[in-house]
Amino acid sequence: MSLAPGSPPAVEAHALVREYKGGIRAVDGLDLQVAAGEIYGFLGPNGAGKTTVVRILTTLLRPTSGDALVGGRSVVRDGDAVRRLIGVALQEAAIDPLMTGRELLRMQGALHGLRSKQARERGQNLLERVGLTEAGDRRVGGYSGGMRRRLDLALALVHRPQVLFLDEPTTGLDPTSRAALWREVRALNDEGTTVFLTTQYLEEAEQLADRVGIIARGRLVVEGSPTALKAQVGPPTIHVELADAEGAQRARSALRGLGALEPAGAGGDIHVQLRTTAGKAAIAPVIRALDEHGVQVESVEVQMPSLDDVFMAVTGATLEGASSNDGSPSSGDHVGEAVPASRAPEATTAR
Amino acid sequence: MSHGILEREARVVLALGRRALTVQFRRAQLLMPTFVLPLMLLAVISSGTSAAVDLRGFPDVASYLAFMVPGTVVQGTILAGLTAGIALASDIEFGFFDRLLAAPVKRTSLVLGRLCGTLGLAILQSSFFLLVALAFGARYPGGAGAAVAAVAIAAITAVGVGGIAAAIALRTGSLALLQSLFPFMFVLLFTAPAFFPRELLAPVLRDFSVLNPLTYVVEGIRALLNGDAGLGDPALGLLAACLLAVCTTALSTGALQQRLRRT
Repeated sequence: MSLAPGSPPAVEAHALVREYKGGIRAVDGLDLQVAAGEIYGFLGPNGAGKTTVVRILTTLLRPTSGDALVGGRSVVRDGDAVRRLIGVALQEAAIDPLMTGRELLRMQGALHGLRSKQARERGQNLLERVGLTEAGDRRVGGYSGGMRRRLDLALALVHRPQVLFLDEPTTGLDPTSRAALWREVRALNDEGTTVFLTTQYLEEAEQLADRVGIIARGRLVVEGSPTALKAQVGPPTIHVELADAEGAQRARSALRGLGALEPAGAGGDIHVQLRTTAGKAAIAPVIRALDEHGVQVESVEVQMPSLDDVFMAVTGATLEGASSNDGSPSSGDHVGEAVPASRAPEATTAR
Repeated sequence: MSHGILEREARVVLALGRRALTVQFRRAQLLMPTFVLPLMLLAVISSGTSAAVDLRGFPDVASYLAFMVPGTVVQGTILAGLTAGIALASDIEFGFFDRLLAAPVKRTSLVLGRLCGTLGLAILQSSFFLLVALAFGARYPGGAGAAVAAVAIAAITAVGVGGIAAAIALRTGSLALLQSLFPFMFVLLFTAPAFFPRELLAPVLRDFSVLNPLTYVVEGIRALLNGDAGLGDPALGLLAACLLAVCTTALSTGALQQRLRRT
């Protein structure tokens, strides 16, 4: 169920401030807007203010000043109406371990005004949807982390919310559980649900979000589609690893004219880096040029700018631990290993 | 409030009450004090102090155990109320309460739902105590109707105590604080004529017992079970229980509003 076209944005915040005791500003004049039907990725390191923003938007916390509207309703003045529109899966899945999944879904149904029979049927549908039918009558205390997250998602969906808030939904999950949750989030969005997703995982934001907002020290520092944000940082870099250091000079000569050569980084003379707006399309010319100059190549890799680069560019810091938690080593397209330039062109099957 | 909204909120209260009761029976650390501890105390006191019936001033009762049982029932109501606060503090501390706050329900219903569970628990608990005592020889000359009325007064009293505990939980959000209140339960119990008639209490306790609403509850239940209006006033017991329940429910609702304003 999405907001009708022409209706107000699904979420908007105006000069939102939240100050804690001691004058600590967790949110410091935040403005943002999320369109209906969008997946908005709210990205930032721990302590940046993501959860505080979500708690304000879900009416669990009052802003010190400013206001936010969800589905056109003020979280300050019309909290009850906001609560009817939203589904919430909070950071730490606060699920009573002594209850079964089915019992929790029935209770959640009652909280959202469903009658007993409706709540029972809806609970059954949701258990099927998130793949917990068999575990539905087991106490939640015996669920794995992934099962709890899926149940948490199901609980947030009981009343078919227009806007779904997911606060770090995949923290601590294994890659398989994470991928399953992503599929579900995409499916929900396809059905028209607006998703406001906070995460500290770069890959998650890249995979899911139509637009990303990066928050640091309580302020929104940059916002846009992942592609546009990364494009702002600069062109992709082609990393060439040579078979030996002797070919470095010839390689640099060969690549001059295909892009901007960068000084070699760690690894010294066997690495040559080239910045080019052509991106993946430059791989074939690069390999051809190296081949023509008789340069032996170990590997060629296209390194796209990542959201971490975006974060670094706008804040001067990195999203601490984000890439190590990602489960994805880089956003680069790795092309073969120990590929002699003479055999390489047909191996340029990037991602 | 329209009929539809009332009906919806009633469903919320019942759902939360059912959940409170379900969890109570699945959590051994809550079940033990509410069902086992009062019976243990009854066994110890009734076997060790049965000679008290010979004391001057001790009322003439058909069954000493039946005289003691109201004290056990009231002790149970205090524990049932206290565990309501503990469970609520636990919900707050572990984040489950946020799930409830994020739902479009009247804030009052969240408190009433918890107390509805306490009401159900106290009905089961009080009935259980009366039956166990019956099996061990207690006799209730007041009859079955009086026993039902006694259970009702006890259940309302549990809601009253639960209201205080819920208010403390909402005010502090501290599970540890609620757990530390257990010893105070005995202060409340022994400053009421739970196991001895008011006339045999020490003068200081006797003076204090006048101010303790549980005095009227325990005496009212005793009069009902023993079928002896000389032991207490059931109407006064019911009034004390109702006043306590209404006042503390308002107190806990106020504590929730205050908590929401604070956040």
